[in-house]
Amino acid sequence: MLKLLAAALITSAAMIGTIRFADADPVTITFRFNDTEQEVRGAIDAFEKQNPNIKVDLQRIGWKDARNQFLREAAVGQGPDVAHVAQVWVTEMGDAGATLALDDLIRKDPPPNGFADFAAQDLAKGKDGHIYGLPWTTDTWAMVYRTDLLKEAGIESLPTTWEDIRKDSEAVYKKTGKTGFGFPAGSSASGAMWFLANFYWWSHGKELIVQKPDGSYAIGLTLEDVTESMNYYKKFMDEGDNPRPNLAASDAHDPAIMQALITGNQAMGAMPPNTFKEALKAYEDANPGKPAPFASGPFPHQNNTKSSMIGGRMLVINANSKHPDAAWKFVKFMASQSVFADYYRTQFPAQTSLLKQIDFGAPLKGFADQFPYARTWGAYASGPVPIGTLWNVTQRAFGKALSGQQSTENAAKELLAEIGKQMP
Amino acid sequence: MRERLFIVTMLLPAMVLLVLFYGYPIFDNLRISFTDLSLLGMKKGGNWVGLANYRELFHRGDFGHILFNTFVWLTATSVLLRLLMGLGIAVLLNTRAMKKLRLASVARFALLIPWATPPIVAVVIWRFLLERNGVVNETLMRLNIISQPIAFLADMRAVWPSIVAIMLWNTVPLIALSLLSSLQTVPEEYYEAAELDGATNWQVFRFVTLPFLMPAILVLGLMSVFWSFNNFVYVWLATGAGPGTFTNVLATEVYLKGFVDFRLGYSSAIGMMMAIIMGAFGILYLRLVARQQLEETL
Amino acid sequence: MPASSRHWREPGAWQLVVVLVLAIVTLFVLVYPAIYVFFGSFRPAGGLLSAAETFTIRNYVRIFQAGFGRFIINSVVICVAATVVSTVLSIMAAYVFSRFTFRFKRALFMGILFGQVFPWIVLINPLFVAFATMHLINSYFGMILTYTAFTIPFSVYMLVGYLVTVPKSLDEAAIIDGASRWQVIWLIICPVMLPGFVATATYAFLLCWTEYLFALAFLTQTDLKTLPLGLYQFFGDDYVDWGAVMAASVVTTLPVFLLFLPIQGWISPGRIAGAVK
Repeated sequence: MLKLLAAALITSAAMIGTIRFADADPVTITFRFNDTEQEVRGAIDAFEKQNPNIKVDLQRIGWKDARNQFLREAAVGQGPDVAHVAQVWVTEMGDAGATLALDDLIRKDPPPNGFADFAAQDLAKGKDGHIYGLPWTTDTWAMVYRTDLLKEAGIESLPTTWEDIRKDSEAVYKKTGKTGFGFPAGSSASGAMWFLANFYWWSHGKELIVQKPDGSYAIGLTLEDVTESMNYYKKFMDEGDNPRPNLAASDAHDPAIMQALITGNQAMGAMPPNTFKEALKAYEDANPGKPAPFASGPFPHQNNTKSSMIGGRMLVINANSKHPDAAWKFVKFMASQSVFADYYRTQFPAQTSLLKQIDFGAPLKGFADQFPYARTWGAYASGPVPIGTLWNVTQRAFGKALSGQQSTENAAKELLAEIGKQMP
Repeated sequence: MRERLFIVTMLLPAMVLLVLFYGYPIFDNLRISFTDLSLLGMKKGGNWVGLANYRELFHRGDFGHILFNTFVWLTATSVLLRLLMGLGIAVLLNTRAMKKLRLASVARFALLIPWATPPIVAVVIWRFLLERNGVVNETLMRLNIISQPIAFLADMRAVWPSIVAIMLWNTVPLIALSLLSSLQTVPEEYYEAAELDGATNWQVFRFVTLPFLMPAILVLGLMSVFWSFNNFVYVWLATGAGPGTFTNVLATEVYLKGFVDFRLGYSSAIGMMMAIIMGAFGILYLRLVARQQLEETL
Repeated sequence: MPASSRHWREPGAWQLVVVLVLAIVTLFVLVYPAIYVFFGSFRPAGGLLSAAETFTIRNYVRIFQAGFGRFIINSVVICVAATVVSTVLSIMAAYVFSRFTFRFKRALFMGILFGQVFPWIVLINPLFVAFATMHLINSYFGMILTYTAFTIPFSVYMLVGYLVTVPKSLDEAAIIDGASRWQVIWLIICPVMLPGFVATATYAFLLCWTEYLFALAFLTQTDLKTLPLGLYQFFGDDYVDWGAVMAASVVTTLPVFLLFLPIQGWISPGRIAGAVK
């Protein structure tokens, strides 16, 4: 026991000695990245080679905790120099004084093709009009299909209207006994129903939060709009073509849904491109050499409405950063074409000029087709209610409606009341 | 005098640490609960709003539902089952038959597995075992106990028992192992005396073993109540408080309000309410239930 | 025959069968999920996404490339240190509570309790601010202190629960024979209470071992992270690396066994026999 204690003390003393401190020269900046290290390792190495006087320390943290942790750190003068954040966090982080205004840096040392080339610029600005983040990557959601199952159910072409999706899902279930459109119907605060609900509203020309010409914000949906969308999704649950256990799945990448798609027990799904790529990879692992019977297609966008979101990530510089110039150099480098071409291939760049040059490949064609019919969160992000709250309230209301905890009408009423309470 | 010095020396290090790590943050939390501090406004600080957060809490429509979930399911059911199962396993592992079958030490190691599993992994595994085509459904169907797969984490009749089952898997080993070690310090003489009196196994358990375990059971029970009442991980990861708000509890509400809505002030107020409820419970429990067994201490 | 085996009379055949069945069911429920994870850790995507039976060690390669070797060391150092300190401090405090009467005793006992009534999540923000001013973020020392402080209350209570069952007459006899209080604790209480102490230390250790919230807030530097943080990294926004999660779970559980293998013998029964006279 004593030996053990002594050993532990010695090891811990030795460890404490090895904690690294940032050296003064060369400059070390910390980059906090929220996806896997191998996606950006090559790019960071290349940057360090090009800039021998700047060292980049990579930190990793999961997406679910990234926002809280960064805000906490920034408030007490800590945190990484450069952070990877969701587009919709930037405005609020800028307003909170957590991130550095980039206007001067952009003016002094602009990115190639200028700032105007970046998507989602509206979300990069704080309420004071300054720019607080550089859009980095873009993605969107689309529908994905098991083509073999569709064929088995006698469906020849991919659905293009919401009614088609409903009918085809039903047909798959009736003819093959398998899941039609299996979407995650769970109620977690960061779940996927939020997206599906909005896509449905947007493609019908409506939106939850609108900005009026005088600059004020309002709810853009009526009780009928919300109830109708709930009824639409509820039919999938009630008729059995989306099995009830999916009420416990909140993420597009929930293993139950992924497995059903990969093993051919589900015909239709909705997800971001990275999730779809994972599914394709898993199918290949399980069926080496066989062509993957998958296709993707945009959400219905009759009348040229938008039907999906341009989501994505930005890079921000910590307001406490001691090396803002080095940090900006790094941020600019990471958003350059060579990084996306040579190293960071799991994501699409946020510059319109770069996005146009990308060949998405056959299975991901639906995502490319979706981009022109996708929109940013716009008024949602600049409005008075935090997006996280809108998201949570919507998830809860849909969860209540789809599970039968409440009638769709009551759930819709509650949703509007909850959000209404927080509007000025 | 020497005795007093001894007492102070023995208590001081623990007390200093506790004051540092609980005392300060608790007072800070109390202060925050009277403000409208937001996670986005940590730099500026919040404005004083008096009791507004507490008033809002009491005027919510679903407060009763959340309290019911927290008290009945998350706390009472899970704690009672945990103690019963823990006691059962401890007694089982201590039987002569277990030793004769050479299973006792194997089982002691088996207990470490669920215990060493981080809650997130525990929930993830069980979510899979409880899937539509998962092992649990398959087994129940093969045994003809059910004819249709059960949506364990989505069906309102099954979701709470399922969450409790996951909690039990992860936490019963603590109880079992603690009680087992307690069992093993029962003086032999007690058993010998009981045997001489011709007591049955049940009587030995009831009048020798159980009274001896009582202090440990009472402490474990109290701690389990605090721990379950304040725990948000299992509900959060298993159902995200859904379907809808069906499994929402106070602790998930603290998380939602603090880290999703960024309202640290309001979230702190819920935390204070939880602390007051548990504090009152703790005092009553020690006074009324544990008094006799821990007489020396209280 | 060892004293302990006299707890029950010689078991009959039916008793053996009942115990055996119960034991197997219990063991199965405890272990099955672990076996599930163990096999999954050798399959692509943890075997969750498709039914193909492919064997691979890529999951393990991947997690060690992501720094798991380092995370294991960090976890072991932080948890062992915190467990040792917390158990020693708790034994000291619990001994005093179970043996003496003094002023403010009840208040202090209740005070220790009070720390446990708060949901830890609300304490994170205030603690983080305090840690930042004391430069305890990203340091082993800060983490060890944190875990020590957060395991003491339960340990003290648990140990008091054990110690009240040891008759005071034991101490008093030794003191009359000329032993000091420290000697009493070390030479008399420790051997008798060893199973209890080990169980308490096990609790403290495993609480630290699986802890996530504090580690997340206080350790952001990659080379200081603990195992649960490393494991959470594989839960991405667009997909979860299930193979890595399973391999990481196996790697998280194994050191616990290696550490407790030698200690397990100490939870052996019967040491108190003959001591109480």
